[in-house]
Amino acid sequence: MKFNSWFFSSFLISCIVLIPIITVFTSFFENTSNYYEILKNTFLIEYIFNSFILLISVLFFTFVIGTGTAYLVSFYKFPGSEFFKWALILSFAVPPYIYAYSLTAFFENYGTAFTILKNLFGEANYNKNIPKFDGMFGAILSISFSLYAYVYILARASFLYQSQNLIDLGKNLGFSKFKSFNKIILPSARPAIVAGLSLVAMETLAEFGAVDFFSINTLTTGIYNSWIYFDDLAFANRISFFLLLFIFSLFILENLSRRKAKYHFNSKGGFKKKEKIKLFGGEALSAFIFCFIIFFISFLFPLSQMFYWTIKFPENLFDLQIKDLFFNTLYLVILSSLVLIIFSLISNYGNRVSNNKTLNILSTLSISGYAIPGVILAIAFITFIAWFDNSIIKLLGFDSIKKIFIGSIFGLVLVYFIRFYSLAFNGIKSGYEKINISVDESAYLLGYSKRKTFMNIHIPFLRNSLLFIVILISLEIIRELPITLILRPFNFETFATTAYISASEDLLEAAAVPSLFLILIASFFIIITSKYILRETYE
Amino acid sequence: MRKISIFALIISLFISTLAIANEVNVFNARHYKADSELYSKFTNMTGIKVNLINGKSGALEKRIISEGADSSADLYITADAGRCGAMDSKGTLQGGLTSPAIKAAVPKSFRTNKWVGIAKRARIIYYSPERVTGAELSGMTYEGLADPKWKGRLVIRKSSNIYNKSLVASLIKNNGKAATAAWAEGVVANMARTPTGNDRAQIMAVAAGEADIAVANTYYLALMLSGKKGAEQQEAAKKVKAFFPNQNDRGTHMNVSCAALVKGAPNKANAVKLVEFLLTPASQEHFTNNTFEFPMIDGVSPSPLVVNNLGLDFKQDMKTKLASYGKNQAAAVEVMTAAGWK
Repeated sequence: MKFNSWFFSSFLISCIVLIPIITVFTSFFENTSNYYEILKNTFLIEYIFNSFILLISVLFFTFVIGTGTAYLVSFYKFPGSEFFKWALILSFAVPPYIYAYSLTAFFENYGTAFTILKNLFGEANYNKNIPKFDGMFGAILSISFSLYAYVYILARASFLYQSQNLIDLGKNLGFSKFKSFNKIILPSARPAIVAGLSLVAMETLAEFGAVDFFSINTLTTGIYNSWIYFDDLAFANRISFFLLLFIFSLFILENLSRRKAKYHFNSKGGFKKKEKIKLFGGEALSAFIFCFIIFFISFLFPLSQMFYWTIKFPENLFDLQIKDLFFNTLYLVILSSLVLIIFSLISNYGNRVSNNKTLNILSTLSISGYAIPGVILAIAFITFIAWFDNSIIKLLGFDSIKKIFIGSIFGLVLVYFIRFYSLAFNGIKSGYEKINISVDESAYLLGYSKRKTFMNIHIPFLRNSLLFIVILISLEIIRELPITLILRPFNFETFATTAYISASEDLLEAAAVPSLFLILIASFFIIITSKYILRETYE
Repeated sequence: MRKISIFALIISLFISTLAIANEVNVFNARHYKADSELYSKFTNMTGIKVNLINGKSGALEKRIISEGADSSADLYITADAGRCGAMDSKGTLQGGLTSPAIKAAVPKSFRTNKWVGIAKRARIIYYSPERVTGAELSGMTYEGLADPKWKGRLVIRKSSNIYNKSLVASLIKNNGKAATAAWAEGVVANMARTPTGNDRAQIMAVAAGEADIAVANTYYLALMLSGKKGAEQQEAAKKVKAFFPNQNDRGTHMNVSCAALVKGAPNKANAVKLVEFLLTPASQEHFTNNTFEFPMIDGVSPSPLVVNNLGLDFKQDMKTKLASYGKNQAAAVEVMTAAGWK
């Protein structure tokens, strides 16, 4: 029974997802253009250096902000701590590129900060005294404040499972609050924090919108530029190869660092529910201020800047086909979530019932789509389709298939699928790991068919995991930019593409309206589902 | 059954509305509100639906090239002659924009048979009248931007910007590659800051005192003066003045927004109709009053904001063929990159 239809469907799914990776790797040895020579002598080092600086700085900021806030809200009670618990995730609703627009709008010469100062203190040239958050620093801030929630959510979940015994241990040893945080709490939450940081790392290396807006040359924009402006796909693929290598080594490092230590969550004996410590006076105030500042900078600031612009330039509100944008965005979200969930369920189940080594390896490889920047994925996809069409389909005498894949909803969703497959696959996998294989065996003994076991037993068990995955995918797709930009059909815009297009035409105030809607819709998603994101217990 | 119905749902979600036959497909890298207003007007007049795919020029070009002969693109509209020229040199365009209406409307140096200019802009120098004297500017040229007297006083965009590429391409055409390479090094040495921001940000840097001169396109100042960017920027715009370089020789560098006819265009006749429509006096007036560009055709006046603040009587460079911008594009990038122009 090892090679049944389940096996073949999961095999096929893994293969589709692997296409772009294979495309990137196979073109590694092709000839590059002159551009490569020029670039090698001038900017290649800069690309690598910038990517590295960006990565390290973002990791630092997201670590400090994410674990700091997670620690405060999980261990202490202070004014607003219940509110911050979920409000801090709202920063997810602001993609880095919208954060970048806000930073520029506020701090540029004659920007919002200038207006505020002028209204407060009268006419003067304040421009010289207003700091400029552009370039690399602007990009670091934009990405950090948008992504720290990954670290926050995972660190918080891990802190919640720390037993009171652990904290008592610190107390008995006479540790200060800081020392027990540093020596006990942080190390035992390490796998969760590292998992959060590796998500941040991948998103940072893949980041396109904000980095492009501040025109910073990173490996990702370098790939894009060498493809767009120098027609040098081979070189673009070669940089991609280095980027992938970079990302894979991050994976491996993370795995290695994890293997050295064993981490247990004691759910039965020895677990003592933690009592939150109530903070008073100065400590309570400091905790409140820290959380509030982070909440303000990461969420309220971009929200108000976009809101202010919408009011200041209301004509942009009336010019926009908001209903169309809303339905297009929703359409992509629903379609992609359905496709991702269904196929990830099939491949997970296929893996489970066929228990085949090759398949396991293949599906582990296939989840690396998430590590490939969207812009590269889109390029690799177009390259592959064009090659396939020119060299195979046409040779066989069939009509071109390009239109089916390029500039169609089908192609768009297919590439979303490749990009976000790992989110769905891993989410369901971790749900499946909690269902003991003996449950399946008992079901078979009771005369259940494979399909019935799947529908009547697995699906109900997986319901919560599925919901969580749908939220993650939805948020990703609402914010997604490069794939949508490159592959969408005629007359098809989303809030994200409209904001990007306006911003790239120096019409930042027109970008405010779609940005505002994007933030509001994403916030709405987050608020209605925050209890799943923040679930206190893993059943 | 449930599984089947879910699949049916997915498939039905994929099926989009059937194509309307009478249409024209535009790959559009110009995203002004004024343009979409014109497209609706065109549809109302002719019944031809204008399908748009918006994006930055580079990505749109790549899609046209990847789709090859199967591309659905009829017209490619972008705000830089260099991009139209580059598409031409890659063999992705076809001749056909040769109707009498087009030929009568557009001067020869602003069109080929594959692409035509639809609105003009000049890339000029902005200066602070407080810190720059008339004597310093007298006889100023683009070549003069490399003069050491501007050390630490000049702001200009990044080298990746298409307007800069076309400007540098025109310099290569007129002065040669070696001279332009030396020029680029001089410009980089004069920069008041590492290039950042768009054209408007360069003008504001002069207004705010970060630099004394800036290079930017003409319509940005008018846009700021119009108040469409808010009261602060309107005030800021009044602190800078426009200067048209190279008045004593070939004239000021001109660029165009251009419409190019894509090879294999499925709706070629409609595409030509749309271009002709964009060149009518009414459409040209719509451009000048909303995007503050210069009209492509005679008999239409630029917006009063442009006329009053930038002046109309300047010598345009009619000698350098716009087609050379595309041809020298790669050399321009090479020259700027080698000079360390970020």
